[in-house]
Amino acid sequence: MPISFDLTQDQKELQTLAAKFAREEMAPRAAEADKKGHFPEEVYRKAWELGLMNLNVATEYGGAGLPLLEQCIITEELAAACGGMTTSILANCLALQPINLAGTPEQKERVLRPFCGKYGLASFGLTEPSGGTDAAALKTRAEKKGDHYVLNGQKCFITNAPQASLYTIFATLDPAKRDKGITAFIVPRDSPGLSIGKEEDKMGQRASSTATVLLEDVEVSKENLLGKEGEGFRIAMQTLDSTRTPIGALAVGIARAALEQAAKYSLQRTSFGKPIAQHQAVAAKIANMTIELEASRLLTWRSAWLVDQGHRASLESSIAKCFSSDSAMRICDEAIQIFGGYGYMRDYPVEKYLRDAKLCQIYEGANEIQRQVIAREFLKRFG
Amino acid sequence: MDVIVCVKHVPDAETRLRASSSGKWIDTDGVKFTVNNTYDEAAAEEALRLKEKCGARSVRVITVGPARAEEALRYVLSMGADEATHIEVPADALLDPLTVARLLAGVIKTLPHDIVMVGKQAADDEAGVVGSALGALLGLPSYAFVTQLDPDAASKTLKMHRYVEGGEEHFHGPFPAVVSLLKGAADPRTPTLPNILKARKKPLTKVPLADAEAKARALSPTAAAGSVRSFLLPPPKTGAKMIEFQTPEEAAEKLVRLLREEAKVL
Repeated sequence: MPISFDLTQDQKELQTLAAKFAREEMAPRAAEADKKGHFPEEVYRKAWELGLMNLNVATEYGGAGLPLLEQCIITEELAAACGGMTTSILANCLALQPINLAGTPEQKERVLRPFCGKYGLASFGLTEPSGGTDAAALKTRAEKKGDHYVLNGQKCFITNAPQASLYTIFATLDPAKRDKGITAFIVPRDSPGLSIGKEEDKMGQRASSTATVLLEDVEVSKENLLGKEGEGFRIAMQTLDSTRTPIGALAVGIARAALEQAAKYSLQRTSFGKPIAQHQAVAAKIANMTIELEASRLLTWRSAWLVDQGHRASLESSIAKCFSSDSAMRICDEAIQIFGGYGYMRDYPVEKYLRDAKLCQIYEGANEIQRQVIAREFLKRFG
Repeated sequence: MDVIVCVKHVPDAETRLRASSSGKWIDTDGVKFTVNNTYDEAAAEEALRLKEKCGARSVRVITVGPARAEEALRYVLSMGADEATHIEVPADALLDPLTVARLLAGVIKTLPHDIVMVGKQAADDEAGVVGSALGALLGLPSYAFVTQLDPDAASKTLKMHRYVEGGEEHFHGPFPAVVSLLKGAADPRTPTLPNILKARKKPLTKVPLADAEAKARALSPTAAAGSVRSFLLPPPKTGAKMIEFQTPEEAAEKLVRLLREEAKVL
């Protein structure tokens, strides 16, 4: 397929739908949800009604079945209105991807179809209090007892955890085996022993909920084992490989909103008798922000395109996530600088962008581990 | 029952407009066009509700416009219409509303139609002519400024509501007819993602301009049309007066004095 940067008619229409939803449903509630740390469930319900959730689940199981590029196009539009809400919407894709990748047709029919057929939230449980980046060292235990497994442990910083009805949980059958012991499970919310701990009070993305999931003698039936015993680490890594690129798109959305606000403000605000955009120091900031935004979007789209063409994209998805989120931080920082004192005030939207963007450097693989992946993948080419 | 809804692809309300170099229309370069044409969307929504409420056989959406106008048709197909017809005109065509009505009427005449829905006016030129002209050209009654309609298939009667000065009028009229909507009974629906993807597979027929013109001539040989002499943007607003004050009381006092003595509105 030749390279083309023209969106198809379908892609444009999905973009328009997402932009409309973002403008009408998300943006008006963003400041309030951020201020109060409120989880606007009515927004997520509406997103589901319009088909904007579960984008990565096949249509035969009630999802949208969209290629990754389309997912990224939608994500950017949503994130331009509110990064936090977008994270909660995307968290479903993250939580369901292990089932997409490793679920049997029976599991997909039994779990995915009813889940996607009505509004619901799901959570991906990998990170633990002692660490997230070194996932092979996780401590949550799974013990096999007859025809079921018993889970014990804690998962922390889990998006959507308080409201989720479904969790994909990673636990180890034997910590000594490190990555080879890790196993993935589907765990419904009503499983006895599963409870939700402290809800986090976050710096940004406050419209999204984040909490600890406590597992005390949680019985999981054999039918809810995902893949085989010991395949959990691979499933988790493959999941993150495919959800990393949309995080780049999420960062692009936040950064775009910051740049647009800054550009408008720089044309209205005057100093020394002219709009501040006409001062070289400010114009150069706008130029640099535009350069970084354009580059971020292209890296994200290319990574998504590679995945859609069936190529391995560990290098490219790490670059997209890492560069877009680092750029978003710089763009949001400069947006505040352009707004001056007003930018530092909560009455203006730009400081929120910075707080929201920060998480993109941390979650779904901190940028430090992304850089390790990038270096490792690139150095392979030289021996 | 067959329902046809006519829509127009218009510049987005938030677009900054400039006059074109010909001085006869806007410069469309870089202008974002949309289907967010309030009255047309209301008409489309009502057309779909007719289908759901009364089991209309099909809802067809039709437009006269350049290639880009296909977007408006796709949008209404995504909302739930079954088929679309595109009377395609050159990108630089400047069509007056009567010409648009003639082209629409010529094509609609050849299609099954019980109720033809239009928005009461387009969101761009706001001429408000097409609905009445369609009725005249098709030889059908035309009901304007309608806010609610309920067809009775047995008696071929439409029960309608419309706003009139200071109140609401409830009236009946026969169909087939042309109905121009002020607003619908419900907010226009937003197409869902699965429906957007399904809309791609729905039939969209292109009618070349020459064909549509021939059909229009067959219906009405006289082709009277207005033409735009010049197109001007409103002059920038001037004359804002800033009140200087120390206390809110002082501001209110000065404002009341100005409203009373200068603006003479009090």
